[in-house]
Amino acid sequence: MSDFTNHPVRTIAGKDIADARRDRFILIVTGFIALAALTSLITGAVALSTDVATYNDAKATLLALGKSLDSIAAPEFYPLKLLRGAIEQFEIIGAVLGILAGFRAAVSERGRQTLALIMTRPVKGWQFLAGKYVAGLVLLSTGLLAVFALAALALQLSSGVGLGLGDLSRIGIVWLVASAYVMVFYGLTFILTLWMKRPANALLISFAVWLLVVLVAPQIGDTLDPDNQVAGGVFKQLQVPKAEQDRIKAGYATFETVRNGIEAASITKHFERFSFAVLGIKDTYTGKALGPILVEKQGDFLWIFLTSLGLAVLMIARPINANRLTKE
Amino acid sequence: MTALATHAMPPDRAVARQSLLYIFRERTVALLAALFVVLVMVSAYLGWSATSTVNSIYNDAVVYLTAQGQPIPPNPVHDISPLSLMRNMSIYVSLIGALAAIVIGYQLIAADRKSGVVPLIGARPLERGEYLRGKIAALLAANGALMSVAAVIATATFLILPQVSLSAAGWGKLLLFFVLAYGYMVMFGLLALGTAARTKSESVGLLVPVTAWLTVTFILPSLTGNIHPTAAINPISALAPPPDTTFFHWTGWLIGPFSVAESFKWLSADLLDYLPATAVTGSMVPPLPDFLLALILAAAFAVHSVGVMDFTRGDYDV
Repeated sequence: MSDFTNHPVRTIAGKDIADARRDRFILIVTGFIALAALTSLITGAVALSTDVATYNDAKATLLALGKSLDSIAAPEFYPLKLLRGAIEQFEIIGAVLGILAGFRAAVSERGRQTLALIMTRPVKGWQFLAGKYVAGLVLLSTGLLAVFALAALALQLSSGVGLGLGDLSRIGIVWLVASAYVMVFYGLTFILTLWMKRPANALLISFAVWLLVVLVAPQIGDTLDPDNQVAGGVFKQLQVPKAEQDRIKAGYATFETVRNGIEAASITKHFERFSFAVLGIKDTYTGKALGPILVEKQGDFLWIFLTSLGLAVLMIARPINANRLTKE
Repeated sequence: MTALATHAMPPDRAVARQSLLYIFRERTVALLAALFVVLVMVSAYLGWSATSTVNSIYNDAVVYLTAQGQPIPPNPVHDISPLSLMRNMSIYVSLIGALAAIVIGYQLIAADRKSGVVPLIGARPLERGEYLRGKIAALLAANGALMSVAAVIATATFLILPQVSLSAAGWGKLLLFFVLAYGYMVMFGLLALGTAARTKSESVGLLVPVTAWLTVTFILPSLTGNIHPTAAINPISALAPPPDTTFFHWTGWLIGPFSVAESFKWLSADLLDYLPATAVTGSMVPPLPDFLLALILAAAFAVHSVGVMDFTRGDYDV
């Protein structure tokens, strides 16, 4: 008995991975994400070094004048905070990677007219689709692992501070969640590309969904935040104390619920909230222990994981449509 | 004589007409166009809602500050120009507008290639220049239709909202903004039209302009001014000054001319009255010449690509 008959899922996954290695498409797109992530990381490091230099100049001036250093705040340095720009690039371009990989995985079979051939072989539809899913998971998570490893290395070199085991484990957790996040877009595009009459339309619809979920929903939520409408923040400009701010904000609870609801409808926002908390990018989580953060952010994690899992089940369980075997 | 040669319409107009009919029939184009129109309406609502909320917060704060006997600061809403209500539109044009233009530009050529009629067109008495003019006319008309709808919605918003009134100069600036936004969309449409004509693979034809759009929208602003991707989609945050360092002075000066999305946002902010008074551009080419240069280059690329397009080839490779 052939390997294909005994292990169809493994064989199909292996064939897709070999294809991807040969045509280098995934490699090129992963390289593009790496470039985007490293650009954000390096520019963030340069901006931070400017803050440090400004602080040192001010400190030297005050000391020369014999004054206290209490009037200036020392810039706090947490290396993982420099990953902020890189995480945002994963949110946007990582999702595009998932879309492109999902599209190519499906359209290559329709374009080469191999789906009909596969259906004549002793392999069940779900086995073929599971092989496709496994290949996507391996390729995308490996690509992301390489980018995260590169970012961690760049972080070490640019900050001059060694990353501890705790830092690396936080990066590792974010990599796992990033893989699940990217697989959401892979699964969605794969399903649409096999389901729709014209594969190119599936790609465009996936991009429309990406635009709404990744860019527009968070943008609307951000814009509706009144504090973002006035330079420096509305409450700061009005010089209202914190307690009064909270009282005024309580009067806009419904507005805030709607604003938060729009943001929460986006899986990208859940990925951002989870990553920013785990990496301590958001100030309220900086320096906090990992355990309580994971407990607090389990809702965001479940959102991403269950969406990814749901699409994976849909992708594998949905029978191959005999009317969509070729490209039209 | 062929039917095309005897057609009452000049050949370029016939190509433009047929292409437009196809584009308007295409569901994905309709979907993206509808999305664009909806977001233009959302943009108008967001501008109004955010300003109203700030105004209400100010009124609440005034009650508290009066009770405490503290000085009352000026209402920040009064510092905001009515035109800036439309500030989100600059973001939606740079996101969904540019993507819709890419899809339109791509479909104008890809539809002919995928249906296999390109070799047939090559065998007809149709000059390459006429084909090109027809396609570009269709691109300009389709994007013009989208931008006209956006302009009508914006105009209606300003006419309906009772507490907002625009001066003659304000209406002029709004009109110029729509001309600018139209130019930005056409630029990406021309780029996509060129790549659709040039590439061997269907997906590469679409991915090249999308990659260029991603690069100018999210990567270059990071290099020129440490603008993170999420800040790049906030009209106010996108204009934050770069850190005052030699690195950003040089990257802004050198890479600034390529960062055409930043030039567009800068010009939009200037026209819609939300450009900070202290804002300065660090690029070696000022925003307006930079924008015009990018538009000319995109047009030249489209003209050259259709000029060298192989009319003996039909469909794309897989």
